[in-house]
Amino acid sequence: MRERNLMLLHYITGLGILLFGAIHVWTLFFTYPLQETIWETTLRFDSLPYAVLPVYRNILFAASLFGLLLCTTIHAMNGIRAVIAELIGARIRWVEAVLVAVGVFLVVYGTRTILIANNLLV
Amino acid sequence: MAASVKFRVYRYRPEDGGKGFYREYEVPVKKGMTILDGLLYIKESLDPTLSIRYSCRMAICGSCGMRVNGIETLACHTQISELRRRVITVEPMKNFPVIKDLVTDMAVLFKKQRALLTWLIRRDLVEQENPTHQYIQSDEELERYLQFTYCIQCGLCYSACPVVSTFPDFYGPQPLMKMYRYFADSRDEGGKERIDLVDKFEGVWRCHFAGSCSMVCPKGVDPALAIQLLRRASLRG
Repeated sequence: MRERNLMLLHYITGLGILLFGAIHVWTLFFTYPLQETIWETTLRFDSLPYAVLPVYRNILFAASLFGLLLCTTIHAMNGIRAVIAELIGARIRWVEAVLVAVGVFLVVYGTRTILIANNLLV
Repeated sequence: MAASVKFRVYRYRPEDGGKGFYREYEVPVKKGMTILDGLLYIKESLDPTLSIRYSCRMAICGSCGMRVNGIETLACHTQISELRRRVITVEPMKNFPVIKDLVTDMAVLFKKQRALLTWLIRRDLVEQENPTHQYIQSDEELERYLQFTYCIQCGLCYSACPVVSTFPDFYGPQPLMKMYRYFADSRDEGGKERIDLVDKFEGVWRCHFAGSCSMVCPKGVDPALAIQLLRRASLRG
């Protein structure tokens, strides 16, 4: 992939992290009733998973989580690629191949987790 | 202002094993005296072995680039009084090999300039040899690259660039800025060829936009802007 395409992807995923991250924080903020802290809500539901799980079972929230996962992974792997290459002073193909493999693993594993939390994958 | 200041000058002699050291000189100061005047006083009156490179003494030739108190500047363009220091540390530019004392080898800069085709590219060579009409530019067309023609190739921006320090293969601000100067010229026909050159790993994408290149330029040129404009052009293909 050409450098400009990689960096364009880097910029787009950076904006994606901002968007999906904001959705993530915003949604969880309104998960809890007003005048009640997260800690109080957690106590009311007896344990944290019971408080959070209903939110994760919303399909739109699951989709935004997938977006966040994808953007973070691509952005991070490309960032690590640039840092390593600048430190070494050259692009090393096998390092890039390892980063792609790690990225694919993170996306697959993270997607599986989102699907399980959403009750779509049992 | 003090009647004299202490010059702490970096000395380097390759014949002495290549290890640099600092030597201090007491220099009497007169109103309007520049760093270059101080160094010339040292060379003429205190230590004739000091090596410096200079020529025009008026910030036009770009020969006397060096670091004064850690900041890249032209020695002829910096007055001692404006520093407001009793001790003035003078060192050669970074990111260039030192030949002797304050003299650096700038071949790497010119090599990168050549690699980036920093000249007008025309396809109609016959027409250029025997022009049949004028190649007039509008004010707007001139404005697109005018500020970048003020570069005097002193190398201060290249020395100040933190990316070149850690990644010497990076083209650096001056060669990229010079390339943009021709890329933005309405008479130039090297568009795609130029973009392909800067769209490499060591090209425009390695700039971290620290902005130190633009900060130290003695002619007010903004190489960081040129790099950003090259990035935009690169993204547009």
